[in-house]
Amino acid sequence: VTSASKSGDAASSLLEPLLDVDEIQGNVLAGFRKDHQVLVALEIREVAAAQAWLASFVHEIANTREVMHFNDGFRALKARRGADPLGFHSVWINVAFSAEGLRKLTSDAEVEAIPDEAFRIGLLKRSALLRDPTDETAEGSPANWKVGGPGEVPDVLLIVAGDDTRLLGDTIDRISPSPDQGQPRIIWSEQGDTRSDMPGHEHFGFRDGLSQPGVRGLISQMPDRFLTQRRIDPLDARAAGFSSPGQPLIPPGHFVLGYPILGQDGELAPAPALAHDWFRDGSFLVFRRLRQEVKAFRKFLETEASRLRGVAGFGAMTAELLATMFVGRWPHGAPLMRTSEDDEAMGGNNWANNNFLFDQPSPAVPPSDGTAPDHFPPSPGDQFGRICPHAAHIRKVNPRDEDTEFGNLKQTLVRRILRRGIPFGKSLPDPALEGDNGERGLHFLCYQASIALQFESITRDWANETLTPKPGGHDPIIGQSGSAQLRARTLDLPGPSGEVETINIHTEWVIPTGGGYFFTPSLSAIRTRLCGIRS
Amino acid sequence: MNINQFDPPGTIDDLEGNAALAQAWSAELSGFFDGAVALLDAFFAENAGGTPQFYNPVTNGIVATDTLLPITWNGFPKRFKKHITTDYAGAEQKDPAVGQFREQDEYLEWFAVRDAHGKIKSVQFTCEGPDYWDFLARHNPAKAVELYRKYIDPGVDKADLFLASGGYNIVNKWNTASGAMHLSHPSNFLQAEVRLASDATVRRHDANGVEPPDSKSLIDCAKFGDPSRNSDPKIGFDVNGLARQGFMITLANPVGLYIASFKDDGLTLPDGTAASGCFNILRGKLPLGLRAEFRLPGAAEAKGLTVSDVSIGGKPIEFGGQLAELITMSLTGAACKAGSVNNPLQPCGAIGAEAIAHAVAVSTPSLGGKPELRSRRTGAKK
Repeated sequence: VTSASKSGDAASSLLEPLLDVDEIQGNVLAGFRKDHQVLVALEIREVAAAQAWLASFVHEIANTREVMHFNDGFRALKARRGADPLGFHSVWINVAFSAEGLRKLTSDAEVEAIPDEAFRIGLLKRSALLRDPTDETAEGSPANWKVGGPGEVPDVLLIVAGDDTRLLGDTIDRISPSPDQGQPRIIWSEQGDTRSDMPGHEHFGFRDGLSQPGVRGLISQMPDRFLTQRRIDPLDARAAGFSSPGQPLIPPGHFVLGYPILGQDGELAPAPALAHDWFRDGSFLVFRRLRQEVKAFRKFLETEASRLRGVAGFGAMTAELLATMFVGRWPHGAPLMRTSEDDEAMGGNNWANNNFLFDQPSPAVPPSDGTAPDHFPPSPGDQFGRICPHAAHIRKVNPRDEDTEFGNLKQTLVRRILRRGIPFGKSLPDPALEGDNGERGLHFLCYQASIALQFESITRDWANETLTPKPGGHDPIIGQSGSAQLRARTLDLPGPSGEVETINIHTEWVIPTGGGYFFTPSLSAIRTRLCGIRS
Repeated sequence: MNINQFDPPGTIDDLEGNAALAQAWSAELSGFFDGAVALLDAFFAENAGGTPQFYNPVTNGIVATDTLLPITWNGFPKRFKKHITTDYAGAEQKDPAVGQFREQDEYLEWFAVRDAHGKIKSVQFTCEGPDYWDFLARHNPAKAVELYRKYIDPGVDKADLFLASGGYNIVNKWNTASGAMHLSHPSNFLQAEVRLASDATVRRHDANGVEPPDSKSLIDCAKFGDPSRNSDPKIGFDVNGLARQGFMITLANPVGLYIASFKDDGLTLPDGTAASGCFNILRGKLPLGLRAEFRLPGAAEAKGLTVSDVSIGGKPIEFGGQLAELITMSLTGAACKAGSVNNPLQPCGAIGAEAIAHAVAVSTPSLGGKPELRSRRTGAKK
């Protein structure tokens, strides 16, 4: 072996490191992608009993290899048969721990050594920073949260997901701690389900979960076994930085600890030092229970669209178009940057629905399978936010090619998160039924290597702000305004001829009702450091 | 944009209605614009030819509808951030020496006023250009002294602010070791802002003939600023985006660099109550803030509390930089006549013989052996 090939190997392992898919929990990089998912929050009462309880099912915790292979098989069967494969089921278990939980299972000193201060401090004390209501009479105040409020911060969060509710229920029954014997106490539990009437859509009616980051790395020693499939013609220059159009490749160290990252100037950098060796292959998890006030959302859209139709330049406004301008995508997923109508074919085309930029015109990108680039109209440049408002949700939380207040695309890449949310509650018919209790929303879950730099920065610096990443107002979907502004939100809505109309929103339709910050350890870390099992 | 004269930054009333002084300031700023455009003319003549897309709205105003483009960036220096860690101590230089500029180069500088125990009593923030203050001190020294006494220390003596030669000392002790009256970093001059905006209107091509697709590649090519800052690449790329659409471009009046917003949520006192109302704009007005202070209200100070007792999201404040990173800065570009210019792409390379920061900085003999700051009046201005 020559020194040149050694250095080539080193460079290649920095760019595409081998991921320990047997150690990393399955929901982090592969994603469970199940129709049903139960979250169980627990309090550790006696450490030894908690360790024994964890040890009783640690061998059942799903790793990345298993989940990835199942998802690949499911996808292949579905593609060939044209429908979900019957009987192809699994139940997955993942487990995560809050800082308080880790303090109980390890030590104060070990938790204090963790550099992510947001994790150490916890969501409850960071909530005001995210502009959650601080007025205790408000539903969104932590004082009223269903999980994670004062005195009820979970130590452990179990995620159990499955295709079949009966098998899922059996698994939960089997691994649930006994109410006595000092085992952990269940302090909250709730099931989330994909919408049976609109699979893949959240409760406001928009397709969700599109545009995830492309995580770099190999899943085996084979040189082309990438975690994220490469779909761009390798002869095209963009193949070096993107797995598919709109899906930039990001070093895995931004999602899982112990892997290379992008340095401050966007250069590839070795893995940062770990607080503890047992943190390797772990990932930080943010959970937010977000209740969606669908009735209020619909009512605002109808009322505001009606008002706008009387404003010069906005005569064609509809509730659906206004909602689309709030989101940045049409209900079926087609990006507003590419079409002025709810083009279902584009929305359902996983190449086309993510093939767009905001600032610059989007060039045609050739696929690696030799097929033609998608035939839909490309997205033009939109520096002024005249096609897709700067405040639109997808433009706020992922500004793509736009420079932000922190720098260029590289500074946006280091803020990306892996979203694993699932709706909860039943769909609300339109018109709504009498007596509806409004209990529906999203179990928002996301994984990252730094809660402060990723989830919190996206929320604090972009969704909640009017001037950043580009001036244009609050994110009208998840953005929150401060108490000094009486929680009122504003955004600039562009008209077809360059007019700008300010939209004032005095209603909140995404309300935080619980959550927490957690750490998702590797499987061996759970076994050896947290359960105390000798290997 | 077509205006009769430039207003002082933030339309601040330091010139107290003196029309001659107002005109003199406008002429000073106008000179920055004319100098920048002259450099563009020379650059085009030496390269692929073209028409400057940057213009002086006073001497060569364009009567047309303007599209305003607010450009924003974070106020905390990017180079003190490394992945998830931030070197707040390094950014603050707890004991800046007289004659040294602060290493705070995002057009926002701050000074933490500490008590004998090191606790922070207040944090001063400023984004006022040194060249404006040089002008004020030259033309109305009494006003400059008055403002220093009001915002920095009642004991400020006029002699403290001026060099033996009679010139205003930008890095005098009240603007370095004892406070922050205005910006001091050589990259933080108003003339630098004008030059940066002007230079960034030039469309470029790289070695492959391709127009640089992002801010980093553009600034690496055009060398109009420091790529390690939040501000320069962002301002440059946003302005260049206007140039690509064929606009004629200038800076909106009043020309300045401004504190546009402050994130004041999640700041708490030890008893858990919100530390609200602590951040106040003292000069200018949001989103055109020129000077701000973070200080606890009198009632909290009367209880013996200090800024060091405030936590941000559960983390106690130890450095002023923790507050600086909550500040969003801005300037506003004004563009008109879209599609009216279609210049050939120009090769990479800086415009003008000297880097912008060195070309505009003012002479400061008290710098001693530090990198020489050149006189704006005797420097590279053409």
